[in-house]
Amino acid sequence: MQAVDGVDLELQPGEIHALVGENGAGKSTLAAIAYGAVRSDDGSVEAVGVVGLVHQHFKLIERLRVWENVLLNREPRRGWAIDVDAARERVRALSASYGLAVDPDALVETLPVGIKQRVELLRELDREPSVLLLDEPTASLAPTEIASFFTTVGDLAKRGTAIMVVTHKLAEVIAYSQRVTVMRAGRVVASHLTSETSADEIAREMVGGEVPALAARASVATAPLLEVRGLSARSGTSVLDDATFEVRAGEIVGVAGIEGNGQTALSDALAGVAAFTGELVFAGTLLRASDTPASRLARGIRVIPQDRRHEALVLDWNVRDNVALGRQRTLGLAKYAGAAREVIERFDVRPPNPDAIVAALSGGNQQKIVVGRTLASSPKLVVAYQPTRGIDIGAAALVQSRLIEARNAGAGVLLISFELDEIFATADRVLVIANGKFVGSFDRAGIDRGRIGALMAGNA
Amino acid sequence: MTAAFLRTRAFRDIVVVLVLVFGVGSIAMLLAHVSPIVGFGALFDGAWGTKGEIAETLVQTTNLLFPALGIAIAFRAGLFNIGAEGQLVMGGFAAGWLGAQFPLPGYLAVPMVLAAGTLAGGVWGAIPGIMRARFKANEVIATLMLNVVAILLTTYLVTGPLQQGGANGSETGPLPKAAQLTHLFDTQLTWAFVLALVLAFVLRWVLQRTIFGYELRAAGDAPEAAKRAGIDLGRTALIAMSLSGAIAGLGGATIVAGALHRFNTGLSPGYGFIAIAVALVGNLDPLWIVVASVAFGMLQSGGIAMQAEAGVPKEVVSLIIGLVIIALAGRRVVASLRST
Repeated sequence: MQAVDGVDLELQPGEIHALVGENGAGKSTLAAIAYGAVRSDDGSVEAVGVVGLVHQHFKLIERLRVWENVLLNREPRRGWAIDVDAARERVRALSASYGLAVDPDALVETLPVGIKQRVELLRELDREPSVLLLDEPTASLAPTEIASFFTTVGDLAKRGTAIMVVTHKLAEVIAYSQRVTVMRAGRVVASHLTSETSADEIAREMVGGEVPALAARASVATAPLLEVRGLSARSGTSVLDDATFEVRAGEIVGVAGIEGNGQTALSDALAGVAAFTGELVFAGTLLRASDTPASRLARGIRVIPQDRRHEALVLDWNVRDNVALGRQRTLGLAKYAGAAREVIERFDVRPPNPDAIVAALSGGNQQKIVVGRTLASSPKLVVAYQPTRGIDIGAAALVQSRLIEARNAGAGVLLISFELDEIFATADRVLVIANGKFVGSFDRAGIDRGRIGALMAGNA
Repeated sequence: MTAAFLRTRAFRDIVVVLVLVFGVGSIAMLLAHVSPIVGFGALFDGAWGTKGEIAETLVQTTNLLFPALGIAIAFRAGLFNIGAEGQLVMGGFAAGWLGAQFPLPGYLAVPMVLAAGTLAGGVWGAIPGIMRARFKANEVIATLMLNVVAILLTTYLVTGPLQQGGANGSETGPLPKAAQLTHLFDTQLTWAFVLALVLAFVLRWVLQRTIFGYELRAAGDAPEAAKRAGIDLGRTALIAMSLSGAIAGLGGATIVAGALHRFNTGLSPGYGFIAIAVALVGNLDPLWIVVASVAFGMLQSGGIAMQAEAGVPKEVVSLIIGLVIIALAGRRVVASLRST
C-alpha cells in the first residue's frame, strides 16, 4: 500500500507552511520522506541545506542532560574526551540566540513538556537547518504555550528557514501559517494561501465532503449518579489531587486539560486499576480502593481507556472475541458472534467481518469496536478517555454522536479529552484539570474559551 | 512479553528447526566420518523399522507430549514456565513413592498413582504461580530454580528419609502389578499414549471453546486489556501454572507407572527441557504439539539405533535438540527477563 502517492510540495524560505489531513492521509510519511528517514519509491526531495525534523513524540533521552541531548553525536571534543564547557556554552548561546530559555545542565526527565519541546527544537536548530519539519508540535502544549511556540517558529521563518508544520488543529493553521496544503489518502487535494481560505473549507477538503453533524442533544432530566469527594489517586507518573465533582445521569461532563495533568489517575481510579483515597459514591454505594475492575464492570461503570491498542484490545484476536471482552462471562460464548454483528452494524465497522483480525483494522475501526462494545453493555457511567484520539473525522463524529445518544438515553458520561473542540461540542458541563487538581467548572452556557485555556495552563 | 509474541514466528521456527536438524546433523555425522544419508537412514529406520521401534518412538512421543502440553498452557497464559522438568520429576516421585508405600487393590491403584503425580506436579507448578500472583516474582527464575530443587530433593528423599524396602540405591520400591499401566499391542507402548492424545484434544477445546480458555488467552495475549476487562491476572496465573505443572506431573507418573515401575533419579533425560522446544515448534497449539512430539520422539528413539548401526554417537541427537532449544527458547527467555 502506498502511504503517499505523487505528491508535489514546495516550501519557501521565510514561510510557515501547514500540512493538514486526517490520520492516515500520509502527512507523517511525507515528512519522514523529506527528512530522509523513509525512502520513497519514486520521485525526489530537493532541499537547499540541512533538513531538520521535530517529532510528535519527543525523541529525547530522559536520563541525560539538556546539552547532552541537544549535542548528541555532535559533541565538541578535546582530544578523546567531550569538551563539556564548550558544549554547555554552545547550548547556552543557541538558546539565547533563539529566545528558547533552558538550563543546559537540567536533566531532561525533570523538565515539563513545554521545555522538553524547546530542547527538541534546539537539537534541530544546532544543525542550522534550512528546512524545519514539525510533526504535530503542539500536541502536548497548553494554549498559551502554543502561542509562544509559534512566535518562536515565526522568528525562525523570518530568519530565512522554510518551515512545515504537520497538524490536525485547524485553528492553529488559520492563526499561524502563511500557506496550507491539504492531503487526503496519500494525495495533495488542495493548496491555498491561508489568507484565502477558512477552517471550514479545509475541513471539507480533508474529509472529501461535508463534515458529519453530531447527534442532537435531547433535553433529559438528570439524576445523581456519581459523587466524587476529595479523590486523590496515582497511576504511574499520573497524579490526581483532591478532586471533588459530580457526574449526573443524563449529562456529559467534559474534563479539559493538557496531557499529563492527572487524567490517567482519574480514569484508572474509576476503572478500578489504580489505588485512591477519598470518597467515590456511585448510585448510592461507596466504591472502595480494593474493588476489582470486575466489580466496577458489574456496577455498570465502563471505561474507554486512552490506549486502545494495549489497554482495550487484544490485537491478535478477531473482532468477535474483542467485542466480547469485558462481557466475556455475562454474555456467554454462544452470543459472542451476535454481539459482534450488532456492534459492526451500529458503528459501521469496516470490514464488516467478525472474523477479521483487529490488528489489521484502521485506528478508527479499532476504536469503533471499543466504544461499540462499551455502549452495547448498557453502562450507567461511561468514562471516555480520549475516545477519538488518532481517528479520522468521520469516525470521531460517529463516536461523539454515540456518546451523546448514550447521554440522551440516561447514561452519565465523563469525557476526558485533550481536545477542547471535542469537549465544547459534546459536554453539558466542563471541568478544567491542571497539575492534578480541578481548577474550574463551567456550564455549557457559560463556556469561556480564553478562561479555560488559561486555567489549563495552570494560571488560576 | 505476551503469549502472542511467543507464537509469532511459527514458520521461521520450523525452518530453523529443519536447518538445525539436517544441517548441523549432517556436519556432525561428517565429522564422525559417516555419510549423512547413512546416518539419517539409520535414524529413521531405528525409529520406524519394526513394531518394537515404532512403539519406542511413540513412548518417547508420550513422554514429551505431557510436559509440552503443560508448557503450552502456561505459555498461552503469558507465563514462561521452564520448570516442566521439575514438575515432571515431582509427579514421578509422588507416583512411585505413594504407589509402593500404599498399595491399593485392583482398579484403584492406577488412578491413585496418576492422581498423586498430577497433584504433586500441580503443587510444584503452583509455587511459582503463587509467587507470581502475590509478589510479581518472575516465573522464569522461579521455575528454573525449582527444577534443581525438585531433582535434588527427590534424590535426597529416595536415598535417605523415604528409602523403601526392595529398593537399591537411589530409587523407590517397585510398584505393585495393579499400579502398572497395561501395555498395548504386546509392546512397550502403554495407554498413557492414548491418554496424552485425548488430553491434547481436551486442552485444545478448553483453550478455544470455554470462557476459562478465553480469559487465559486474553491474560497471555494482552494482559493490560485483560485486567481492565475484569480478568483477575493473579488468579489466572495461579490456575495456569497449577494446571501446567499438573499435566507435566501426570507425565512423570505415566513414565513411572508405564515403564520404570518405580521412581528413580534417572526418570527423565531432560524431557521437561526438550518439551519447551516441542511446545514452541508446535506453536503452542495442542494439536500441532502432538505432531511436534512425534518428530522429537523419533529423534530420541532413532538416536540409539543410529549409534548402533551407523556408528554416529547418539549425543548428536542431544546436540541437535540442545541447539533447537537455544534457538527457539533462548531469544524468548531473554525477552521475557527484559520485560519484567
